[in-house]
Amino acid sequence: MSAMRSLGGIGGNLIAWGYALIILGPMVWILSNSFKRQIDILMGTTIAPFTLINYQQIINSRQSQFLWNLWNSAVVSVISTLLVLVIATVAAFTVARLQPPRWVTFILLGWALVFHMLPTLTFVGSWYVMFTQAGLHGTYTALILAQVVHGLPMALFLMIGFVMNIPNELVQAARLDGCTYAQVFRHLILPLSLGGMAAAGALAFISAWSDFAIALNLSNKETMTAPVAIATFAQEHQILYGQMAAASMLSMIPALAFIMFGQRFVVRGLLAGAVK
Amino acid sequence: MATRSLDAARIERANLWWRIGSLAPAIIVLAVLSIWPVFNLAYLSLADVKWLSGSAVVEFVGLRNFHELFTGESVYWAGVRNTIVFAVCAVTLQMIFGFTMALAVRRASKIGRSVLTAVFLLPIVIPPVVIGAMWRLLLGRDFGIVNSLLAFFGLPMVDWLGDPRSALMSVIIVDVWHWTPFVFLLTLAGLESLDQEVFEAAKLDVKNSWQELRYVTIPLMMPTILITLAFRMILSFKVFDEIFLLTGGGPGTATEVISFSINRVFFAQDRVGMGSAMSLVTILGVAVLIVLANTVVSRRRKQRVSA
Amino acid sequence: MSGGRNGKYTRRTLGQLLAGLSLSAYLAAPAFAQDAPPIRILISQSPWLNSFVSLVDQYQKVTGTKFQLNVTPFGGMVDKMRNSVRAQQGSYDIININSQGLAEMYAGGFLRPLKEIDSSFALPEGVLDFGNSANWNAKTNSFDPQGELYGVPTNGNVLVLYYRSDLYKQAGLKVPQTWDELLANAKALHNPPKVYGFISRGTRESILFDFSPFLFSHGGSFFAKPENGDYSVTLNSPHGLRALETFIKLNKEVGAGNAGAMDQAELIQLLSTGKAAQGIAVIAAVADLQDPNKSIVTQTIETALLPAGPDGQRASVAGHWMAGIPKNVPEANQKAALNFLKWFLEKDTQVGYTEAGGIPIRKDLGDTKLAGDPAYRFIKAFSENADVAKMNTPLKEGVRLKEVISLYLNRALIGEIPPKDALNGAATEMNQILTAAGYKLTPPKML
Repeated sequence: MSAMRSLGGIGGNLIAWGYALIILGPMVWILSNSFKRQIDILMGTTIAPFTLINYQQIINSRQSQFLWNLWNSAVVSVISTLLVLVIATVAAFTVARLQPPRWVTFILLGWALVFHMLPTLTFVGSWYVMFTQAGLHGTYTALILAQVVHGLPMALFLMIGFVMNIPNELVQAARLDGCTYAQVFRHLILPLSLGGMAAAGALAFISAWSDFAIALNLSNKETMTAPVAIATFAQEHQILYGQMAAASMLSMIPALAFIMFGQRFVVRGLLAGAVK
Repeated sequence: MATRSLDAARIERANLWWRIGSLAPAIIVLAVLSIWPVFNLAYLSLADVKWLSGSAVVEFVGLRNFHELFTGESVYWAGVRNTIVFAVCAVTLQMIFGFTMALAVRRASKIGRSVLTAVFLLPIVIPPVVIGAMWRLLLGRDFGIVNSLLAFFGLPMVDWLGDPRSALMSVIIVDVWHWTPFVFLLTLAGLESLDQEVFEAAKLDVKNSWQELRYVTIPLMMPTILITLAFRMILSFKVFDEIFLLTGGGPGTATEVISFSINRVFFAQDRVGMGSAMSLVTILGVAVLIVLANTVVSRRRKQRVSA
Repeated sequence: MSGGRNGKYTRRTLGQLLAGLSLSAYLAAPAFAQDAPPIRILISQSPWLNSFVSLVDQYQKVTGTKFQLNVTPFGGMVDKMRNSVRAQQGSYDIININSQGLAEMYAGGFLRPLKEIDSSFALPEGVLDFGNSANWNAKTNSFDPQGELYGVPTNGNVLVLYYRSDLYKQAGLKVPQTWDELLANAKALHNPPKVYGFISRGTRESILFDFSPFLFSHGGSFFAKPENGDYSVTLNSPHGLRALETFIKLNKEVGAGNAGAMDQAELIQLLSTGKAAQGIAVIAAVADLQDPNKSIVTQTIETALLPAGPDGQRASVAGHWMAGIPKNVPEANQKAALNFLKWFLEKDTQVGYTEAGGIPIRKDLGDTKLAGDPAYRFIKAFSENADVAKMNTPLKEGVRLKEVISLYLNRALIGEIPPKDALNGAATEMNQILTAAGYKLTPPKML
């Protein structure tokens, strides 16, 4: 039986690494495109003269301040992700384990779901008006608030799911010991839902990091984020594939680093829980 | 005795504050920033908006937009059909691949695990607009690398995005490539948060890996699987950016999806009334689907429990 | 219940509620009113942006006027424009409007008539107006030279014929004067998959543009008399049918074989990689096709006037950009903006603009220093095509009509429906849409 298990394990490994290749193939190809001239990309040349021109043009030219755009993206996505996580996790605990009035849960979750299902572009115009009237158009505050609302519904549902996985008996026991809800949350729920928080956080981060529609409408020149800048490479009459590839490589690195860091942090949290 | 009840009262009060304070931020944020846009949308779906000398003239037209939507707008309905095909195929494949990879990563060695996790996550950190542009190059008919590979193995070229018969399939392939990490991430987190004791105890009763998956892992993972499925479904009903650069909805209406029609009507044509009506009809449809799926699943679960 | 429930609706009411929040922002705004305000320009990220920027720099140096360029992805231009012009206070003093969006901006009353800012202003002699698209007549709802002047062209763009001079020389061919000659040339050069004889765009996004010159040159039209506001649909005429049949025949017999999926990026890819012998494309593509980093046909790609129809009629369509000055910005900004635009239109400025890589908006640059320079050999074809260029769907419902027509054309091109049914279907829907919008029309006669 153990032989079968390990066989299955090897098979599983093969599948996993095979799938990794399917992902890496196009990635390597995009990476190589970022070092090619437009004409070589268009010709589909595999081995072409190496050039850094794409990176130079996006980083160091009058038309493009890509590093600044990346910084804007980082500020907006990191802050909004943290806010979303905090808001969603505390709310999830209450909804999942503390039986708030039914109508409150129903309205909150129902509304969140409806809002989540709407295409972004149908309400981003309303946001433009609201933020402009509040004097916040083009500010980080506007972008962050918008990303928080945008990412909240999904994070809320995901966190409710993860909190539900924590056995209710544990919560009951802690309360019998005289813990307040806040203490139950801090000492029980929070450590046990770190894995879920990492996943929900990663998704909230990705949705904020790659958002185009909201950032386009609510940002200005100073707060323009990376996806909007990248979209400027898909122009009316041409697609600047090389610059697009270079820009997406640059924007992937911090995103991936942030997600992996989050994962690490969580794994450590899990280990700490296990030792205790 | 007195101190105890005092304590209890203090705890009660703290708990009340917690209950209010924990829900308040979510409610306030949603109330301030989503109520007006959503009601505005609902209101506009009953209206026809025109712009004259710089300001909007709104004519209340009742259900006319909905009537027109259900009697005309054939492109939208072609989009509905495509979107359902797209969502069902893409999400099914993503669920299978994502869950499989999560299981595989759980078993991998420590280093393999971090490497694989990083690799599997790569596609979702690329902005969708780039996915569209790059896959268009990859799948291009004359210069695309996929066709070069086919030619290398002596196979005929395929016009992946230009042939109405293969266009939707190609779009699905790209979406699966892009969004499988979403499922991977959530199912991996779900697997990690499973109660290990229950898991180990249940494992004793099964004979092989397949049975373990079938009778232990999947049932325990059901809540995570369902919620992942629901969100993937919703998101694939909203798919836009990647298809926009891949095919633009063509050829003909072969890859037209709902969000295209909404975008085109609401935005390009500036018919916000009809666009709002389309959005509402769409979310109503998705909501019905979710409720149906939920009922079916919970009924089956009950049956299994009683059996 | 007569009279309905028409009412003025402003999103501004909500703003008043939120205005309290913004008080601090107002207080924080320092008073540097004595400085001239910068001219705020909304402009799309595009190949001609660099040349525009160089002019802006030059103007800034000479006059001391400051500029703020809001460079936006092409796909986001309309969002930003609408947001700004519909607000109480606009964010831009000059908006660059794509030919597609002109009717919406003009008819919506968002722009200030230029003569209101400066009563002596008129487009100088020699400046192209691309099918009267600088003027709008609110009474007839049409681009009409008698109407109010709203727009100043900022970048010229029309469809032209591209061909490869080297291939022509090898095969002993001449520049085609009619579509039949074009077909003959294409047949001589067609050698797929190495070289395609003739390519044009055919996706739903683009097909209407590339079909329009065929339609107009065959004596067909979309509407009876659009310049007078008579939008009775005439698309499904025998002329229209012949035009569509020619269009499909070219794409089928000597095209790339995936005409229904061919869009701008792919078309330029085929041209720049030397895979297309002839093609219809915008003159704006010339910059890419002459750039050695983007093309292998820099020396051999040539441009010409689009071929004539059976009766010798020539036609092209406009895809240019116009600058407008919104109503909702301060008068001082509007004045400064118009002064800049006046300077922009001058002949010398336009020579500089062209040298910096822009497409000029004057047709009288033939006697300037640009004339003999091979890098600007495209100017002749550009001017000739611009002279016969029209707007294809010149009304504010244009975008919607364009999408309706395009779907039918695209389906005819990929062989889903016969050309006749496509035109009849398109005409019927066009007529429905316009009638519902309140236009008085003669119903179209079915083919």
